[in-house]
Amino acid sequence: METAELQDKIFAYMEKMKGKKKLKEKDVIKALAEETSEAPDTVKKALRGMIDVGRLMYSYGGGASSVEIPSEEYLREKGLIK
Amino acid sequence: MSGKYKTPMLDELEKGPWPSFVTEIKKAAKKSSMADDELGQLEKSYVTKRGYWKHGGIVGVLGYGGGVIGRYSSLPDEFPGIAHFHTVRINQTSGFFYTAKALKEICDIWDKYGSGLTNMHGSTGDLVLLGTKTESLEAIFAEYSSRGWDLGSSGSAMRTPSCCVGPGRCEWSNIDTLDITYNLTQEFQDEMHRPSFPYKFKIKTAGCAVDCVAAIARADLSIIGTWKGNIQIDQAEVKKYAGAGMNIQAEIIEMCPTSCMSYNNGEIKIDDAQCSRCMHCIAKMTKALRSGKEKGATLLVGSKAPIVVGSLLSWVIVPFIKVEAPYTELKTLIRSMIEWWDDTAKPRERIGEVLEIKGLRPFLEHIGVPPQPQQVKEPRKDPFFFWAESDFKR
Amino acid sequence: MALPKRQTDIGPPKYDQFIPPVIKKNYGKWKYHEVLSGGTMVHVAESGDALYTVRAASPRILSTETIREICDLAEKYCDGYLRFTTRNNVEFLVSDKSKMDPLLKELQERKFSVGGIGPRISNIVHTQGWVHCHSACTDASGLVKAIMDEVYDYFTTKELPNKVRLAVACCVNMCGAVHCSDIAVVAVHRKVPTIKHELVTKVCEIPTTIASCPTSAIRPNPKDKSVTINEEKCMYCGNCFTVCPPIDIHKPEEDGVAIVVGGKIGSLRTSPKFSKLAIPFFYNEPPRWPKVVAAIKNILDVYAKNAKKHERVGEWIERVGWEEFFNLTGIEFTFQHIDDFTFARDTFRTSAAFKYSR
Repeated sequence: METAELQDKIFAYMEKMKGKKKLKEKDVIKALAEETSEAPDTVKKALRGMIDVGRLMYSYGGGASSVEIPSEEYLREKGLIK
Repeated sequence: MSGKYKTPMLDELEKGPWPSFVTEIKKAAKKSSMADDELGQLEKSYVTKRGYWKHGGIVGVLGYGGGVIGRYSSLPDEFPGIAHFHTVRINQTSGFFYTAKALKEICDIWDKYGSGLTNMHGSTGDLVLLGTKTESLEAIFAEYSSRGWDLGSSGSAMRTPSCCVGPGRCEWSNIDTLDITYNLTQEFQDEMHRPSFPYKFKIKTAGCAVDCVAAIARADLSIIGTWKGNIQIDQAEVKKYAGAGMNIQAEIIEMCPTSCMSYNNGEIKIDDAQCSRCMHCIAKMTKALRSGKEKGATLLVGSKAPIVVGSLLSWVIVPFIKVEAPYTELKTLIRSMIEWWDDTAKPRERIGEVLEIKGLRPFLEHIGVPPQPQQVKEPRKDPFFFWAESDFKR
Repeated sequence: MALPKRQTDIGPPKYDQFIPPVIKKNYGKWKYHEVLSGGTMVHVAESGDALYTVRAASPRILSTETIREICDLAEKYCDGYLRFTTRNNVEFLVSDKSKMDPLLKELQERKFSVGGIGPRISNIVHTQGWVHCHSACTDASGLVKAIMDEVYDYFTTKELPNKVRLAVACCVNMCGAVHCSDIAVVAVHRKVPTIKHELVTKVCEIPTTIASCPTSAIRPNPKDKSVTINEEKCMYCGNCFTVCPPIDIHKPEEDGVAIVVGGKIGSLRTSPKFSKLAIPFFYNEPPRWPKVVAAIKNILDVYAKNAKKHERVGEWIERVGWEEFFNLTGIEFTFQHIDDFTFARDTFRTSAAFKYSR
């Protein structure tokens, strides 16, 4: 699977789960590796690519780290939108 | 900027001989309205006996998930300067060695973007910069990283490894704590900056069992230097200690936990096979006694503070391992330990807690370490033990 | 203004850029060291080279102004080389012996406290407290300042039977090494938390919150889309607050601190030990917590008077027995001292041999 396609699938999963459960990086990797039959390392690389450009972001709350879809505030602060 | 607040309670803590943290905050407040509002809010805490901080959310710079801890005043209208007051953690140098030039550069950048307040260092080891705003984070990272300093760690991630002064300035060190720590810090950069673990994971390295870095109490993996072979004795120096008034019989021989030493006719004898390498005699008679020549480390796993079901000290897993550059065996073993923990733990479970629940066997089997009497204080008392299929071979 | 280009995952600079030539030359080849005074020592290498160290106290919170002052001194007397200790003190690394006296003189003039080496108290490892922590139920820095002012002579000059490691933690998360210190202060809550149900619904994951409780005191509360807490089971650890901040554990009028004693981390003579409860509670009394300070001074004095040379606090107590510790210190023994949590049964006495209370 092309990286871009895999990343779209990751994003779709993140949107589906938004507000339902705080997802750790590992949760996302596990779910998408199952869904796409890609190797976990491939999913991890694609996920990291999204975090590097601000399409996804790390967050912290409830005593644990998680991965989220960035808020507009975050994107503005990082200079990714105006 | 300073002097916005009257601080009669805190002023009491500028009296007395010990250096005052209040004086430090006031010094920073001369230049920073953030530090001044910090002072104002702290005075309020001293009156009401409660803190006014919220945390979470912000965790770093683009691409990272650790190294910045989001901190916000819960009274932003009253103390606008600390509406954001985030912590920035910086990977400390091994052994906390610095030059004045490097430290001044760190200060210059921090004065430009932050409150001017620091911790040298935080409890885990990172160099801690206290108090900045969200909009400054990317600039802070660009300034520091372009000069060779990287962010530390926070969240569900590896913490910056930490160590004692080791061979830099200590005759007791059996291993190169500084080099091990530098190498592990470089090895696990990704695991430090991008939180993918069930919870935190700390590595601390001490050169000997004196353990000046509290590895055995404060690290998920405690690497403690030790040796094989006989303690080297300089009998001429023994005589000098006696001549200087040391009561060798009472202070050394009778305090040896294994009673493996004797002192006759002004000479010390040691039955090295019975020595547990506790360091008492060497620490008290450093000129006369030196550790054995074959150096290595004991690896212990699991220590942590009491949240949630009680404190743990680290448990012996590998009684003796050689640790020499490039540390390939050590790194492989650490990755194997983390892999088992990562696959087994529930969220927010430290490796010690998981070991307690699952037992040592699956962990030892995973990392390829055999059961050994050195791993326990005593064998089990109860008659309930598991048998695996592999135990039935005749 | 254009920012320099960021780099990622470079880690810290390598330590070898920051060590003085005498260390580079004698790295790993140190022969012995001698404590010269409460705050100075010399390390001698096999080559005969010597490195002098001057240790000065820091309050851990340092302004950039003070760090620059320390740097200026390092430049003037030790070619800019310095380090920090794991207990937050600063060490000047002096290669030229003739610079020791002038450095000590200037440190004294500038009101730095030199000490912490040998069988003494070497600063207090502590946490952020009200200065910067969301979960603090006391102020660590204030307690440290008040305690160190009182025991100051044991930092600078006076000797104890062995070193005494002090620590202060501003809540039971214990970001300091309280759980294995000779004498330590830990802040504790004593009341069941208050739940802000509407906020719980909004910001917390209910299953995670329930799972966070070590005594299974938290149950679902479907009516409020929140949780309830069984008051009889709660032991106020505050872990639920960490996971779900609207469960407010703070009760400023009932929060305070406990004192624990007898921990150690080194394996010398006896195994490392956890600290155990000595005094279950003092109210927070800012700015100087006089009762806490007096209680610590008392324990320290009794230890100094009764322990044998080289015995740490925990070793002394184990030799004389905990019942004798309460006799000697005059500390009241209460229900709180008897463990009723995870390690309880290992702590009950199983022998008819013990000392009486006096």
